[in-house]
Amino acid sequence: MAVAPATVQRFADKLKWGASRKRSNGPIAAAAGGARKPPLPPIFISTNPSHINLHELRDLYSSSNISCHRFPNVDADGRVEPVDIHKLRIALRHSSVVVSVFCRPYDNDDCTAKSSPMMGLGDILQRAIPVTPSNGQLVGFGRAVSDQGLTASIYDIMVMPSLRRMGIGRMIVKRIVRILTSRDIFDIAALCAENERLFFQACGFGDDILGSTTMMYTRMVSSYPASDQMVKCAGRRVLLAPSLRQPFAS
Amino acid sequence: MLDICIFVTSVLFFPARRKLKVCQTRASFWESIRSGFLKNNTTQVIEPPSTNQEEEEPLPEEFVLVEKTLADGAIEQIIFSSGGDVDVYDLQALCDKVGWPRRPLSKLSAALKNSYMVATLHSLRKSPGEERNEQKKLIGMARATSDHAFNATIWDVLVDPSYQGQGLGKALVEKTIRALLQRDIGNITLFADSQVVEFYRNLGFEPDPEGIKGMFWHPRY
Repeated sequence: MAVAPATVQRFADKLKWGASRKRSNGPIAAAAGGARKPPLPPIFISTNPSHINLHELRDLYSSSNISCHRFPNVDADGRVEPVDIHKLRIALRHSSVVVSVFCRPYDNDDCTAKSSPMMGLGDILQRAIPVTPSNGQLVGFGRAVSDQGLTASIYDIMVMPSLRRMGIGRMIVKRIVRILTSRDIFDIAALCAENERLFFQACGFGDDILGSTTMMYTRMVSSYPASDQMVKCAGRRVLLAPSLRQPFAS
Repeated sequence: MLDICIFVTSVLFFPARRKLKVCQTRASFWESIRSGFLKNNTTQVIEPPSTNQEEEEPLPEEFVLVEKTLADGAIEQIIFSSGGDVDVYDLQALCDKVGWPRRPLSKLSAALKNSYMVATLHSLRKSPGEERNEQKKLIGMARATSDHAFNATIWDVLVDPSYQGQGLGKALVEKTIRALLQRDIGNITLFADSQVVEFYRNLGFEPDPEGIKGMFWHPRY
């Protein structure tokens, strides 16, 4: 049939089959393999922000337990507060690079559940259709904010828990870095917590060669805030803004 | 899915090359209609055109921070401005004065244009009797990049060495923080050289809070 090769050709640069994985039927190999890591299912990487459904994205934030606040409110189960969808929309609009990864819903299920080696004709036909943002489920995301000239900061790299440790996160970071360096931006920073440090090291990030110290604004309200002070909540931190300075006399 | 259906029908029923062209034209036709409706072509987020509320940029401010009378009777004013009106050549001269390495002007210019906020200090010297002869000089700057919602990073804070020690740098940074917090942007970060860590600590910054560190991309050759 003329259809299959043509469509694969068209999406060739977008479809990823995982660098070291054999191009085999994923679930069958997984069922037979046993101790082997399940091969990466076919995924579609997009850098087009319009491919993202905001509600799906917010759900991905929740399932990855990521809040946009660096010091989020955490409930008794260790879950962070859900991200505000309006602010998320604004943040996306002002992010210079937005990467999203899609996967077919049943591929995702196959990774979590054991699948039987017998596949019906319907399943085979379904697998022949390549994954696209419209028929796929959002399983990975990452974004970067840049001044389009000198610097960039990477934020919110996330992959659905069931598809982690397959190299998708690294693919997202590599794609972001590639886009930024193609725009001549080489000063790329990523804020990370202790548990994210190894991941970013594996992506080629390290300590600042200029030896700078990362600092964040954490001034909090003292016990007796004055009436004219501005106070803002940022997750579980309540930040105190610097007071308005009077123009000082000579 | 629709794309694939059109594609499939085109391949099966029509001479491949000619129909393919029409299909691609049709696809791009709808794309252009859609992008025409959206406010900003480069970031297509599927949602109705945004309201004024969301697009509100920080209102540019300009006021006199310090005013003093000099020995020769001239008046010098130090004017704070957040309008971002910076001459790149003046900025490069200022960077030279503080001893920073030179950066390409086009990149500097792009960085300024795409920063969330650029706060500047200019010195305005008015000689007595020569009201029209005003000397305006850039003496300080601070800029911040942000996603306008959650995160911001303050870069490039600098003050002319001959004006340092007067609290001007402090004023620049405090104003920037205030403007960011006003928009509920709570994650304010910066990467401080060792000699200015104390300066920022006094302004309310904490190094590596809760173990959060910045990592930088190292190119692999």
